[in-house]
Amino acid sequence: MSLLELRTEIERKAQEEISKIIESAKREAERILAEATAKSEALRNERTKTLMTELEAEERADMAITRMNWKGNLLRLKSEWCKRVFEEAEKRISQIAKNGGQEYRELLSKLILEGIQALSGKRFVVEANSRDVEAIRKELKALQERAAKIKNDEVVLRVGTLSNIVSGGVVVSVEDGAQSYNNLLDARFSAATRKLAGEVYKILFGESKD
Amino acid sequence: MSVDLKELQELIEQERAAEEKVRRAKEEAQNILKAAHEKAESIVQAIDSDPDWEKLRRARKEEMTTRKSQIEEEYSRRTALLERTAQQNFENAIAYLVKETLRVQI
Repeated sequence: MSLLELRTEIERKAQEEISKIIESAKREAERILAEATAKSEALRNERTKTLMTELEAEERADMAITRMNWKGNLLRLKSEWCKRVFEEAEKRISQIAKNGGQEYRELLSKLILEGIQALSGKRFVVEANSRDVEAIRKELKALQERAAKIKNDEVVLRVGTLSNIVSGGVVVSVEDGAQSYNNLLDARFSAATRKLAGEVYKILFGESKD
Repeated sequence: MSVDLKELQELIEQERAAEEKVRRAKEEAQNILKAAHEKAESIVQAIDSDPDWEKLRRARKEEMTTRKSQIEEEYSRRTALLERTAQQNFENAIAYLVKETLRVQI
């Protein structure tokens, strides 16, 4: 081998090794970057998934609270309207009793007769507030006759005053006190509100309470 | 083959120069790998400061605001309807309750 050939060979081998080193480094760099890109993509997907899950849970809770608040408002509103109806009805019933007109006097008679019909026996005590007691006394004879027809027997009525009672209506008791029938308007109204709340709801809102 | 001393020295010198070139190439290779590692790290770290997350949050928040407004509108409409219906039926409900309270069965 000539000297020139030797020099050329040294140069060639050096260049060959340099190329190998650089190419190898470039390939490794590409592999590192590809791996990082894939890792980054996987991380991004995972984080997106986690974030979406979190956001959806937050949103569901948020929407549920919003709907619940509004439903609560609607229920409160309905409840207020029902309350207004009950209050106004109570006022009107109380006014009917206070006016004490013919219509109310007939109502008193019917309340007494309903009590008598529900109780057993033929001697009864009818109690009412002092205002109504006067009206009942005036009708006593007629009442006894109507009661006798209901019982198919002679009926004796005694009238007493209930102190501290403002409400109209009556309490009818068997004379020995063993049984009584509360037909005070307060009691009837309380029973009616319990029993008829659903119906009032339907009339007011055109829908059933449930 | 016969080489004189000068030529031999030149050959040795050339061999040294070639070795130096290879050493530099190795250094360059190290630099290439170092840069690749740094870039790889920055690619992974870039996820944390990715503005897409904030964009996504904002978009969902806007969507929620819209949906809440729709719910609010729906319930406002239902509230108004309820008020109207109750107002219309108020007297009927009172009359019914009064009548039933005073209804006597004999």
